Amino acid sequence: MIKELGPGFRLTLIFTVVLGLLYPAVMTGLAELIFPKQSNGSLVTVNGKVVGSSLIGQSFAKPEYFHPRPSAAGNGYDATASSGTNLGPTSAKLLRGTTKMDDKKNEVVDFDGINLRIVHYCVDNDLPYESSVPLDQFKDSHGELDDVKLIKAFNDDKTRLLFTAKASIPPDAVTASASGLDPHISPANAEIQAARVAKARGVSADQVKQLIAQFTERAALGFLGEPRVNVLMLNIALDQKVPVSK
Amino acid sequence: MTLLGIAQIVIFFALVVAITKPIGTFMYRVFKGERTFLHPVFHPLERLIYRLGGVREDEEQSWIRYAASMISLSIFSVLFVYVLQRFQGHLPLNPMHFSTPQAPQGATPMTPDLAFNVAVSFLTNTNWQSYSPETTVSYFTQMTALAVQNFVSAAVGIAVAIAMIRGFARHTAKTIGNFWVDVTRAIIYILLPICILATMFFVWQGSIQNFKPPATVQTLEGASQTIEQGPLASQEAIKMLGTNGGGFFNANSAHPYENPTPLTNLLQLCLIFVLGAGLTYTFGKMVRDPRQGWALFGAMAVMFIAGAFICYWAEQRGNPMVTSMGVESAYTGSQPGGNMEGKEVRFGNAMTALFTTVTTDASCGAVVAMHDSLTPIGGLVPLFNMQTDEVIFGGDGAGLYSMLIYAIIAVFIGGLMVGRTPEYVGKKIEQKEVKMALIAILATSLCVLGFTALSSVAPFAKDHYWNPPGPAIANLNNGGAHGFSEILYSYTSGAGNNGSAFAGINANTPWYNLTIGLDMLVGRFLFIIPALAIAGSLAAKKLIPVTSGTLPTNGSLFVVLLIGVVIIVGALTYFPALSLGPIVEHLQMLNGKLF
Repeated sequence: MIKELGPGFRLTLIFTVVLGLLYPAVMTGLAELIFPKQSNGSLVTVNGKVVGSSLIGQSFAKPEYFHPRPSAAGNGYDATASSGTNLGPTSAKLLRGTTKMDDKKNEVVDFDGINLRIVHYCVDNDLPYESSVPLDQFKDSHGELDDVKLIKAFNDDKTRLLFTAKASIPPDAVTASASGLDPHISPANAEIQAARVAKARGVSADQVKQLIAQFTERAALGFLGEPRVNVLMLNIALDQKVPVSK
Repeated sequence: MTLLGIAQIVIFFALVVAITKPIGTFMYRVFKGERTFLHPVFHPLERLIYRLGGVREDEEQSWIRYAASMISLSIFSVLFVYVLQRFQGHLPLNPMHFSTPQAPQGATPMTPDLAFNVAVSFLTNTNWQSYSPETTVSYFTQMTALAVQNFVSAAVGIAVAIAMIRGFARHTAKTIGNFWVDVTRAIIYILLPICILATMFFVWQGSIQNFKPPATVQTLEGASQTIEQGPLASQEAIKMLGTNGGGFFNANSAHPYENPTPLTNLLQLCLIFVLGAGLTYTFGKMVRDPRQGWALFGAMAVMFIAGAFICYWAEQRGNPMVTSMGVESAYTGSQPGGNMEGKEVRFGNAMTALFTTVTTDASCGAVVAMHDSLTPIGGLVPLFNMQTDEVIFGGDGAGLYSMLIYAIIAVFIGGLMVGRTPEYVGKKIEQKEVKMALIAILATSLCVLGFTALSSVAPFAKDHYWNPPGPAIANLNNGGAHGFSEILYSYTSGAGNNGSAFAGINANTPWYNLTIGLDMLVGRFLFIIPALAIAGSLAAKKLIPVTSGTLPTNGSLFVVLLIGVVIIVGALTYFPALSLGPIVEHLQMLNGKLF
């Protein structure tokens, strides 16, 4: 055994230098030389300013933009904290959401949950739905939906709020991705959002749908992966082709 | 399930079949010491390593010296990784200033128990990560500690498999090869060249490869977004080829920089299986009967296909409670349907299910989806794959030596049934081999079930050093049966040297770091050392001629027997635990029960 210690130490050291320093350094050099854009993160520039990466999703909340999927990375699309929810199929938190007390002892949303996301998706995009209690009863003084009230109603075991979409909701619209940075949504999800985006921009839905078609990526080699739309790239194109009238 | 989804699984499998013979033949030549087309470039490097390392290329080792060399390399590996991590604050390439006073808020401190767990994890080819890389380790640690072990631990696995094959191939021999030479050749001629090509492919498709600090950008809506950078692609290549699976980022292969497109996903899948599949052919060729190798391949293939389709079916079917709220569960061509929680749009259900199956068939553990959010049956497939010791193509080398151990049990059981001394590939299988095989199989299951039981009841007080959150079940992210599955999955993944996780569990506490660390060591070394002992014992035996009483081990009868043994051993050991986890959870999901 003692005799084997020498080669053990020396080979560990050699492998560390060859595989740990030389290999990544040479690969970085080659990558910079041949694929400089990709190796540096596929960053996207608009009017001389870097606005993000075409591979990394980012948050969009305004009605005139297409919205990405819900995200569990930090507070949403935090590219220093990639993560999914890690909630399982029988998790009440995943389906109905949870609330918590903040520093000022106000009850706030802790986790929104799939049911609440469906409510917002239906309301935002004007989709038909069925609710056991009219949604007006969950509005605050500004006429906005009160998420805390809704989550509590979903979790109320005695008189549970039952809310069902009467249109087919694409699952990617109401579920968080694995990375929390998914840059894509499904084409069906984009189609549903088209009317809202068009209205906010004062253009026809057809114009917006044309752009969706243009930005829909199909399966690679005809069979690999799923059809998808890159949200950031589509939104950049929207700003260029049909800018918001101010 | 759709035609396109099925096509993705079938075409991937066809690719695996197609590369098995070429790569298997190439490995045969490399470990025979024959000249290959890579020699003009890499032979000088190989000789330089022997000269600097003090290794004599022509020296043969007994199984005990072979094992001692393996342990020696392991000791220095674990020390290097531990020290590099603990001192990362004083080392270069640390743009986020981890382990220094300027570390960003929310950074994870590199505590001794965490550094131990990570060192063991990468040493044993597990790559279990109880930390989140982007908030814990510097580029320097990633490159020089973690990626190096990705190469070395894979090479050790391949070397042990080759040594075990020599046990069958040689007769009346005292030696089984030279460990240092086998490891060096595995790295220089097999791992490194493939990684160089794969790295460039990943970068072409969008993976990053730079030493820059994170990029801060202003998004279209005017918010600030910080995007992590780093030398990722070079590590991604060996992470997949070495069946390591430890992500450069927390989201692993689901992260768009690690796995940007369906094409990179296909390459990742191929990299996981290529060496495991190829080694079955190397085995057949070295024992001078390629059909012996194809028989192992056949058994693996049947179990792979079954797992992939069960997982795909369950995931595409989705969660009925979500469907009842109005969410589409069927695939329509413009949206994926099924259970999309914890999945990426570009991969959908079919590719995700395929990846989930492949990564646990092999001891890879990279993930394109959060396994914690899989449906109960979708999550049962990876669990069961790991519990049957990842013999379906398996980890680099580990898949083959584990499957050979199951083959020994299979011929032993076959021998008992017909009342003859069992034989396998021309060698009598006797008491010593069977004992060693059983040690390997029993030690891991004992560890998995024992630690799972302990963690389910361990009653720590809140803020206790060993587990600050309180009782060991306070670390879970899910309640009910799914919470139990999180614990079971952790120890299964550790002992199986897989490294994937039901990642909701907070395993970065001294209790989990230590117990999962031990679990990984047992799973690795109590498989490798018995495998080498079997190799030494077999190599010393005489070849016995095939007679009419010999159970043929190169035909379909043996394939069926082998599959039966793998599944029955796994099922008998783990069925009670599985029924408390995914099986009961499936019934609860169908009945609308939430926790």
